[in-house]
Amino acid sequence: MPISCNMSQEQNQVLISVEQRFDFSLHQQFRDSYSQCLDKNLSYILDLSHTEYMDSSALGMILLLKDHADLHSSTLVIRNPSDTVNKILEIAQFHRLMTIEH
Amino acid sequence: MVNITSQSKLALVVDDSMTQCMMLSALLKEEGYQVIIANDGACGVEKYVEHQPDLVLMDINMPVMDGYEATRRIKNVSRENLAPLIFITSMDTDKAFIESVDAGGDGILVRPFSPQVFKAKIKSIQRISDLYLQVKNLQQEQQKDAELAEKMMSDVIESRNFALNKVGVIKQAATIFSGDMQLTALCPNGDIHVLLGDFTGHGLRASIGAIPVTETFRAMTKKGFSLLDIVAQINCQLYDLLPKDLFFAACFACISEHDKSAYIFNAGLPDGYIFSENAEIKYHFSSVHPPLGILPKLMPHTDLAIVPVQRSDRFVLITDGIIEARNEQGKEFGVTYFENAAKKGILTSDIATSVVSRLKRFCQNMPQEDDISLVDVPCSGWHENNLINKENQTHIPETYIVEDAFYNASPSWSWQLELTDKLLSSVNPIPIIMNQINDIEGAGEHWHSLYTIITELFINALDHGVLGIDSSLKDSAEGFSQYFKERTKRLEQLTDGFIRIELCYFPFEHGGKMFISIKDSGKGFDIFNVLKSNSFAQNEGVNLSGRGIELVNQLCDTLDYQDNGTFVTANYVWHDIKPYDLSNEIH
Repeated sequence: MPISCNMSQEQNQVLISVEQRFDFSLHQQFRDSYSQCLDKNLSYILDLSHTEYMDSSALGMILLLKDHADLHSSTLVIRNPSDTVNKILEIAQFHRLMTIEH
Repeated sequence: MVNITSQSKLALVVDDSMTQCMMLSALLKEEGYQVIIANDGACGVEKYVEHQPDLVLMDINMPVMDGYEATRRIKNVSRENLAPLIFITSMDTDKAFIESVDAGGDGILVRPFSPQVFKAKIKSIQRISDLYLQVKNLQQEQQKDAELAEKMMSDVIESRNFALNKVGVIKQAATIFSGDMQLTALCPNGDIHVLLGDFTGHGLRASIGAIPVTETFRAMTKKGFSLLDIVAQINCQLYDLLPKDLFFAACFACISEHDKSAYIFNAGLPDGYIFSENAEIKYHFSSVHPPLGILPKLMPHTDLAIVPVQRSDRFVLITDGIIEARNEQGKEFGVTYFENAAKKGILTSDIATSVVSRLKRFCQNMPQEDDISLVDVPCSGWHENNLINKENQTHIPETYIVEDAFYNASPSWSWQLELTDKLLSSVNPIPIIMNQINDIEGAGEHWHSLYTIITELFINALDHGVLGIDSSLKDSAEGFSQYFKERTKRLEQLTDGFIRIELCYFPFEHGGKMFISIKDSGKGFDIFNVLKSNSFAQNEGVNLSGRGIELVNQLCDTLDYQDNGTFVTANYVWHDIKPYDLSNEIH
């Protein structure tokens, strides 16, 4: 499974991690991983530590997730992006749009 | 002899037993097929190639070439055209079944079977083949439509670019539609606006934003809007227009040959470069803003990068498709390879070709995953015939001026605009003024100089008058950008003040005169200081602030500062003298 999604009830956390390639082919799967989470005040964590490659449509998918989080009064944090992925986030200046934890 | 008509379908029966052939032929004819027969595999392949049948029935065990091999060959030559192929055999084994599918068979029918079962099989296989044909036709139609749409789109977008012959370009789309776009447009004052952009993803979905971006970029450039105004407008438009996950990574640049400077704004593209003619990297321009279309407004404190350039410098932009192109080992082309290829290209005066061939060598046969784009823009030589100077006016016979001036004592029209308080920081009056002039008097070459004059005088009134910024800041490269930071800060804090602009137009028989007056609410400034700093700010031989009153002074017939520098009047005169008129006068 390239995308795994774990929910922890106690901490109100939704942990989504994407393995290897994060590109357009994961569009539906990525959306499915959070679209059922309709509770408020969740913290979404997108773990990109095992993502080796990311294209611009993946950036678009992250924006959709951010939108979903905002809509449900929740937060989004990108966690531990790998070097390659971080470069792409940096070029897109995503740190100015959301929190990125290294 | 088989008579093939276009109405009936054609079947090929390949079997070494005459009895079998006769039996199958009879059944097929009852179903309306024309039938041709081959008695071994090799002969079957030959007849297939010759007649291109709609259906093939294939025995397995035959002399010369068996059914599996014949099937492999037939499938090999008929990739485009799916003629369904059914194995007819008495070998009722798993092995026969599996091998027939592996060889490329579309079905297997094991003897003995009743005529009804045979006919049912043929019908079902024919249904699938009809479906395939339908899909193929649809696909071809779609491809044709897409190609047409792409052609129209690129006609609208790229072919109307300014001075295409001066720009080096790579544009390789991953699919028919490219999500990348390259634009160049000429500003009224002779500067060049350049844009390289990359919409999310590729294909049709990625190209829908291209037309509004193009229209806005061209129209606003033509009207004299500043680069940042254009960026802000395109951002706002795309935010309204595009779905949330679609955005536009783009780098904008304004290259001013007469200022010898470049103004750059990179929102989400890989680093842009300015290379010297010796292939050294003089500047990098990293992305400073998220791609456009994500935020409703540009982020606060968004500034252009401003750098001095030499005439021989080259400005190069790329999209991530180049950096991220991968070879069979999964390794990325990367920045270093790109930079080396570009440097090599400068020495051979063809950056695009050098980068393309290096990229090709690197990727070998790997399919291209993303759109690949590059623009290579020279920092001079855009309009040899279009220079803004007064040289072509120095030959005007003096009698003209006297005569024309005599006939025109009062203006044919005048126009006034007063901007106050906060509006001073949010409204750029220059495009409004140029629009007025164009609306009343029509377009004309001489407006280019007028545009420069009004822009300079207005900026002086705003910067040194209303905002009271010390012009000596512009003396060094660091000060130059500090100046613009300070300007942005003061503009944001601006709460009161005014600038009044007035134009009076006097038509001449051979040209005309524009009288310009600008009054500002500032404390005034020492005009000689500004003149001094403008003309003596030297850095590596580059005049950093050529945008100055000096330039206006050269363009105008008269230029007067009054009221301690808070009131300026200028007269701009031009003559419609065509070359042949000149020679008439001389002889």
